[in-house]
Amino acid sequence: MSFLNDRILGVLMLLLAVAYGWQAQQIPVPFGGGGPVGPSTFPTLLAVVLGLTSLYLMLRPDPDNAWPLGRTLGEMLVAVLVLIAYTLALEPIGFPIATTLAVGILCWRMGARPLPAFLVGLGGAVIGYIAFNFGLELTLPAGLLEFH
Amino acid sequence: METLNALMAGFGVALTPMNLLLALIGCFLGTLIGALPGLGPANGVAILIPLAFTLGLPPESALIMLTAVYAGAMYGGRISSILLNIPGDEPAMMTCLDGYPMAQQGKAAEALAISAVASFIGSLIACIGLILLAPLLARFALTFGPAEYFALFVLAFATLGGITGKNPMKTLMAAALGLMMSTIGIDISTGSQRFTFGILELYEGIDFIIAIVGLFAVSELLFFIERRAGDGDSSVKMNRLKLRWREIVAIIPTSLRSGGVGFVAGVLPGAGASLGSFLSYTVEKRILGSKNRFGEGDPRGVAAPESGNNGAANGALVPMLTLGIPGSGTTAVLLAMLVSLNITPGPLMFQQHAEIVWGVIAALLVGNLLLLLLNIPLVGVFVKILSVPPKFLMPLVTLVAIVGIYSISHSTFDLYFMIAFGVLGYLLRKLEIPLVPVILGLLLGPEMEKNLRHALSLSDGDWSVLWSTPLSITIWAIAILGLILPYLLGPMLRRSMAAKRNRN
Repeated sequence: MSFLNDRILGVLMLLLAVAYGWQAQQIPVPFGGGGPVGPSTFPTLLAVVLGLTSLYLMLRPDPDNAWPLGRTLGEMLVAVLVLIAYTLALEPIGFPIATTLAVGILCWRMGARPLPAFLVGLGGAVIGYIAFNFGLELTLPAGLLEFH
Repeated sequence: METLNALMAGFGVALTPMNLLLALIGCFLGTLIGALPGLGPANGVAILIPLAFTLGLPPESALIMLTAVYAGAMYGGRISSILLNIPGDEPAMMTCLDGYPMAQQGKAAEALAISAVASFIGSLIACIGLILLAPLLARFALTFGPAEYFALFVLAFATLGGITGKNPMKTLMAAALGLMMSTIGIDISTGSQRFTFGILELYEGIDFIIAIVGLFAVSELLFFIERRAGDGDSSVKMNRLKLRWREIVAIIPTSLRSGGVGFVAGVLPGAGASLGSFLSYTVEKRILGSKNRFGEGDPRGVAAPESGNNGAANGALVPMLTLGIPGSGTTAVLLAMLVSLNITPGPLMFQQHAEIVWGVIAALLVGNLLLLLLNIPLVGVFVKILSVPPKFLMPLVTLVAIVGIYSISHSTFDLYFMIAFGVLGYLLRKLEIPLVPVILGLLLGPEMEKNLRHALSLSDGDWSVLWSTPLSITIWAIAILGLILPYLLGPMLRRSMAAKRNRN
């Protein structure tokens, strides 16, 4: 039970508070001065609050939670990468194929056998595509499956 | 009388065939989401918001549907508590205490039916409280000036999450982070660019729907992977329901009392449903004295927290609708929804958008009745769905959220942003930084800043204007109390909740 998490968090947040507060001072004052309270007043106040709470955390940190390591961390990275790849692929290769692959891979990585995993992906993709394009009349990209 | 007329008009809105259908769909989806272990009402509503938007509904219909989802999720939470001993969220924890023992004694169907009736009674009481209290509070709030409003925002942050979050300093930090996010974009009063770094997509600020879905739904996927919740318990067995009238009548006094207790806990800013279910269980145990068998499968031990929990959930709508200050995580999500529909909650809403307010209140009553009717016959269906392994459900739920976001804007930039929020949400939750104040900060930031600047420019920059009237001093005092009290009470509350749970 070390107290490292909150200390690191505190340091990072203090850096953020300083950077944010400094940036706030750089906000150009509008033409005519803008009265006693300009666009930087509120952000400055927030920087102070964040700075104080991060100092508190450095001094009185809570006990740490364990972070996932090794395989679990790898699986979580895979999940994030799948979501990013899905976003990348959504428009060029289309909703049906991208969804089948993304849901399939996620289900499989979560411990389903490959065949059921990809069948669930396919089912979800088909139902989703029909529901959105015909039920709700919102066009999802068909991508590779588009017929011209 | 005036209220009654307004309520009647509200029923006119809620009872149109389309709105009724939407309420039914919302109730069903909400119950489903609430029933999934690990997904609470806040996540549930967050996941379904994009869907409600993509339907292109008029504001009152979208709101009615999401209110129904909200009510449904509060009902659904009890299903996994009773059958699997896994609370869907914190308030559902108390239902495990007697619900699971009842299920083990082969009385799962009775426990579910009793909890449905108790939930209904709790919601009904809170709805009546809402109808009586909300217009009064709204009228009172009309006398608030910018300084009072600023203090009120501080109060919301000071108390919110205080009891559920572990460390008040972290709540404050979360609020500061959320408020900081809200300052990104073009400043409305001067037109200055703030923290945009020249990125075009940031000019209009961060869309809180994207933030909410990322923080709640995507981070949930990551948590699921970490927990490896496994294959779900498909060995859930249901007995045939043989509920006698006598058993229902026996829980009515408990449900009535608990609904009242829950409502009061819900109205208090920040306390929320966890406190509601905990208080009503404890109070009821005390009242019944030696006649209770709480913890061993006493039906009244199921009724009390369920009624209290639903009473609190609806009570939290009072500050949300009248002051624009949500009392719980889920009402914060509903508030986000309102703001996205260009409706600013607060005292003026009762005048400017009376049909929406009363339509929603009426829809809440209708929704609860629908839930009661749905829940008793359909409970078997929900149980079946619970036995679908989460390894298939979680990816599908996440994809629904992503597609919903995409279909609002057709912008993949939003999706990357949402994934980033998901990772951030995971990190914050891991560090025990509560997410609700972040969302709330993002949501309330612009209004809070506007009131601060308004107050300060009226006083020509004199900060003492913020605490110059008796009313604002009172609000500040409550806010300070709200920040300190949870520090003392919070650990106590959590300890006794955990102790009660461990004993079983």
